[in-house]
Amino acid sequence: MLKLFLWLRYLRKRKIVYLSIAAVALSVSLLIVVVSLFTSFIHAFEQSAVDTVGDVVLSAPVKFEKYEHFIERLEQIGKVQAATAILSAEGLLHLGKGNVRAVEILGIEAAKRAKVTGYKQFLLKQKLLPDDPTFEVPNLTDSIGGFVGIAVITEPDEKTDEYDFQSIEKMLGQQVVLTTGAVIEDKDTPAQGRFKRKTLRFTIADIVFTGVYDLDKRFVYLPIEHLQRILYPNEDEKLANQIQIKLSPDTDTEAALTQIRGAWQVFAAEELKWTPNLIRYTDIQTAQQMQSKYVAALLKQMGVLLLVFGVVSFSVIVLIFCIFYMIVRLKQRDIAVLKSCGAASSSVAFIFVGFGICVGLVGSGTGVILGYIFTKNINTIEQWITTILGLKLWKSSVYMFSKIPNEVNWNSALPIVLSATLAAAIGALIPAIVAAMTRPVEILRYE
Amino acid sequence: MYKIILAIRYLVKRRITYFAVAAVALCVFIVVVVMTVLTGLVSDFKQKNHSFVGDCVVGTESLVGFAYYEDFIKILGKEDFIEGVSPVIKSYALISRKGSEQNYGVEIMGIDPVKHSQTTGFSQTLHYHENDVSNVFKPVKDPNCMGCVLGIDLALERDEQGRYTYGFSPAEADIALAITCFPLTAKGALAKAGGLGLVNTKTFCYSDTSQSGLARVDSSIIYLPFEQAQLLCGMAEPGKRINAIHIKFKKGVNLNAGCERVTSLWQQFKQKRADELLNTVTVQSWKSNRRAYIAAMEKEQAMMTALFGLVGITTVFIILVVFYMIISHKSKDIGILKSIGVSNANVIQLFLGFAFLVGLLGSVIGSVGGWRFLVHINQIENWLFNHFGFQLWDRSIYAIGDIPNQVELSVLIVIIFSAIVACLAGALIPTWQAAKLKPVEILQVSQL
Repeated sequence: MLKLFLWLRYLRKRKIVYLSIAAVALSVSLLIVVVSLFTSFIHAFEQSAVDTVGDVVLSAPVKFEKYEHFIERLEQIGKVQAATAILSAEGLLHLGKGNVRAVEILGIEAAKRAKVTGYKQFLLKQKLLPDDPTFEVPNLTDSIGGFVGIAVITEPDEKTDEYDFQSIEKMLGQQVVLTTGAVIEDKDTPAQGRFKRKTLRFTIADIVFTGVYDLDKRFVYLPIEHLQRILYPNEDEKLANQIQIKLSPDTDTEAALTQIRGAWQVFAAEELKWTPNLIRYTDIQTAQQMQSKYVAALLKQMGVLLLVFGVVSFSVIVLIFCIFYMIVRLKQRDIAVLKSCGAASSSVAFIFVGFGICVGLVGSGTGVILGYIFTKNINTIEQWITTILGLKLWKSSVYMFSKIPNEVNWNSALPIVLSATLAAAIGALIPAIVAAMTRPVEILRYE
Repeated sequence: MYKIILAIRYLVKRRITYFAVAAVALCVFIVVVVMTVLTGLVSDFKQKNHSFVGDCVVGTESLVGFAYYEDFIKILGKEDFIEGVSPVIKSYALISRKGSEQNYGVEIMGIDPVKHSQTTGFSQTLHYHENDVSNVFKPVKDPNCMGCVLGIDLALERDEQGRYTYGFSPAEADIALAITCFPLTAKGALAKAGGLGLVNTKTFCYSDTSQSGLARVDSSIIYLPFEQAQLLCGMAEPGKRINAIHIKFKKGVNLNAGCERVTSLWQQFKQKRADELLNTVTVQSWKSNRRAYIAAMEKEQAMMTALFGLVGITTVFIILVVFYMIISHKSKDIGILKSIGVSNANVIQLFLGFAFLVGLLGSVIGSVGGWRFLVHINQIENWLFNHFGFQLWDRSIYAIGDIPNQVELSVLIVIIFSAIVACLAGALIPTWQAAKLKPVEILQVSQL
């Protein structure tokens, strides 16, 4: 009770203690903001991959046929909820006068892919419709429909980083020209094959706005059967070079990967007659594994930044030491009176160490609140800076996402709070020892 | 004189001052290291961008390009402030390697290698033809094939230490690439391109790699002979077109002044030609032309500076507390000084001088420590990589070589100045309180 009374009294009377609380709060909030922004960026990055390609991706070294048989086999595995085939190629898209873009073409099954990935929510026109997405263009039944990434059509505004949706929607129903190509088996030299360029016209049926600039700028989506007809007109069997897979909820990913690999080996050997070597070159990875190298680099950057700020925050210990040393010096008489009344040296030391812990806890608590407020409102703050200073800090073309990912990382907040409290206790330790060593007989002498 | 003596005495005798000096030194050390690395990265990035585009660019974003460029180049050639001029074709293309099923979307730049090297740092980016740039588009293996220079990341892989593995040279390898473009008419529509309908395709042979050090450039650009690129893009028809003219100024020509003169020449030239396409052309300095890329890095540097500014507040707090303590303990000194006629201003000068000494000493210690650390930073990173596999940047992902470690004097001066100002700010309130002390109260017998 006495200790609590003294802590509250020192807190009330010695205003300088607020400086140490402020310093702890500042360091804690800074570290929480840095960790939260990094981890939420990484999470958004990984989630964007899942939304784009599903949970697991099977990429074959060459195109393969009978993919529907393989998907049937996959869907018999309890761990797989749905799967869809992809045929991909690169191409050039002519959007209008002098407007040519290099794009990646994905041949997709529009309805089925919506069950594997979250791409329906990104379609500007069809996202609110109850039906599955479709490439059909109203009033143009003969025309091939296609989806185009929003940043393929236009770049976001240089100053606001916003897209001009009115002009973008005008592109719906417009015809564009795409060129691509593939190796086609040559009748004269079947072993070599020859590369053939192909062009096709398609109508923009919808626009894809994922909020991830790199995806929005890169992809054009066409019906898989049309793309196959363009690329491989002589092939009768349906072709794909990638399978995107959605796992059932709460599935053990590693176990699912093992089963998918097993199913692929059997399918490729039995139905495709592939050699073991070719089967080995098939890449089967989760969406997270595909991003792991970049995520590792981001985590390393976060670690280095935290280390730097952690070292600088070390000066908080010095600050608390100075303040507590000053309090001990100024309160020598209090300490002497306490000791003369029978308080043990350890009790006296604990008054100051405990007070240090209190300062650490109060500072950390304040820091957590500040960090939370700052992280949650980072997009608003960024807008203020843009409005006041005319400086656009966050651009999707540089940092991928249209909005700054801003989820607070509570898992990291706890170790930061504990470290800050420990730092405050360490800072208070030497002054506490000095206080414990105070000899009342020397302090309370009349002269 | 007494102010100096007392300030030095407090610095030496009051051990608590060492904490303030240590805190300042720690802060300065970290800021010197981080800012040197960041500044080095930013200035290196700027220099590479400058080298990539030359001093000034007269160009258009539109892939249709603009005509009459030969006339304007003639006008530029007569100007005494211009050292080099290079017309450039820019467009997008699809490439596919002979026998491969893979197709890649890339950017193409059609250049005259000699003119472009006189204007930009192109020749220095080449691996095999650095000293023989005129032959860069002549493949050694097959001189009849038209050569192309690949951005290095399109051709080669980087190892963990950022080194490229030049496994095959153009003299040994026979790599042919089919390059396809949409030829555009002067109105921007698709031009009919003969056999293949709407696209032009031509085969080029790999003749060299270009390493500009700019990740986006090295991973997406293929350089082609100027005339061939012009044909591919449909710009070689009568009323020949290009997308940009890169210009290098003579030494000693001020960048802004040079750009203004080019702008003025372009305005005069444009007025004589009634062509809509010329209205899309802008004259930009290399800084404006590459602003989108450079600004992002500069903003990151500014944000880091702001973050360190925030963290530095703790140091200001430490100075405040230390000074508060010293002034509390030295109130009798102040009382005596004031009783013998020292003014309030002199007391303030005494303690601000002391704060200045603390800031200066801390800054010097921090700067020397930071400088020594930076001198060995690459060795430390190598050691960490060899023993623990740790790298500051994964060189197989980031196009960064050695960690920049050249301390810039201007940056160092700003850091030291900021540290001293922080110390003075921290000492301000305690100093003000010291100046307000009344000797009659401090020197009372009951207080002694």
